[in-house]
Amino acid sequence: MTYAECKSQGFDFIVGVPCSSLKQFIEDLQRDEPGRYIPVQREDTAVALAVGAFFAGKKPLVFLQNSGLGHIVNIVSSLLIPYEIPIHFLVTMREMPFEHTHMYKITKPLLSLLGIESRTFLFDASSHV
Amino acid sequence: MTRLQAVRSVLDTLTDELLIVTTGFLSRDVFHLRDRKENFYMCGSMGNAYPIGMGIALGSPERTITVLSGDGAALMSLGSLVLGNSLKLPNLWHIIIDNKKYASTGGQPTCSDGIDFTQFHNTRVIHVDHDEPASPRITLDPVEIARRFRFCIR
Repeated sequence: MTYAECKSQGFDFIVGVPCSSLKQFIEDLQRDEPGRYIPVQREDTAVALAVGAFFAGKKPLVFLQNSGLGHIVNIVSSLLIPYEIPIHFLVTMREMPFEHTHMYKITKPLLSLLGIESRTFLFDASSHV
Repeated sequence: MTRLQAVRSVLDTLTDELLIVTTGFLSRDVFHLRDRKENFYMCGSMGNAYPIGMGIALGSPERTITVLSGDGAALMSLGSLVLGNSLKLPNLWHIIIDNKKYASTGGQPTCSDGIDFTQFHNTRVIHVDHDEPASPRITLDPVEIARRFRFCIR
């Protein structure tokens, strides 16, 4: 999954919280839209920005590290699902070092519990820091 | 000033601007005082009304957006207000009704005396010293709230 592949899917409002696995992705995003990168401070804020962009007619994509999933549980459960607002996520699957290991194990079940359908994509390992 | 007087004073200034209202009593108050299709009642996801407004302001720069928050909600996502200070969107306004408590959950105190919200971009604070009882719950279906709101932006 690359930035160009995401763009080719029609996403025109890409926002999120950085992950080292997304270093190249975010550099490509910044290069593509100079001066328009949004330096978001927390994952649920990124989702809320995406919701606003959806209302404005955009097709948003939210990127985040799996360690940030806990921050979006409430906004997914109490906003996206009851209001039926469709938002796509790009979630990186950090497994190591140790602080990521448990979240790695529960990432897919957690997405499923939240009602988010997921597919796994391979990443270019050279972009991983 | 009371909470309902504060809400009325905000609604009296509105023409065709989009209004995002935070969860709890304030959404219920606005729905019962002046429902309009340009209102988005964000029931739940406390703290996220302001960044929803930022997303609309970025996606629809020709529209004017007002976000109505309480002090508890503004404090819950204080970082999003800092992002607002960074982006400085000219078409986004934030009105914070500060009663220094979580009125919807029984009036427990907040820590809003620890911050000056007017340091944030395009932000106005209305201080409230009395809360009326809750307005009735919103009777609109959430899917309909989102559908009609989105339709009136495009």
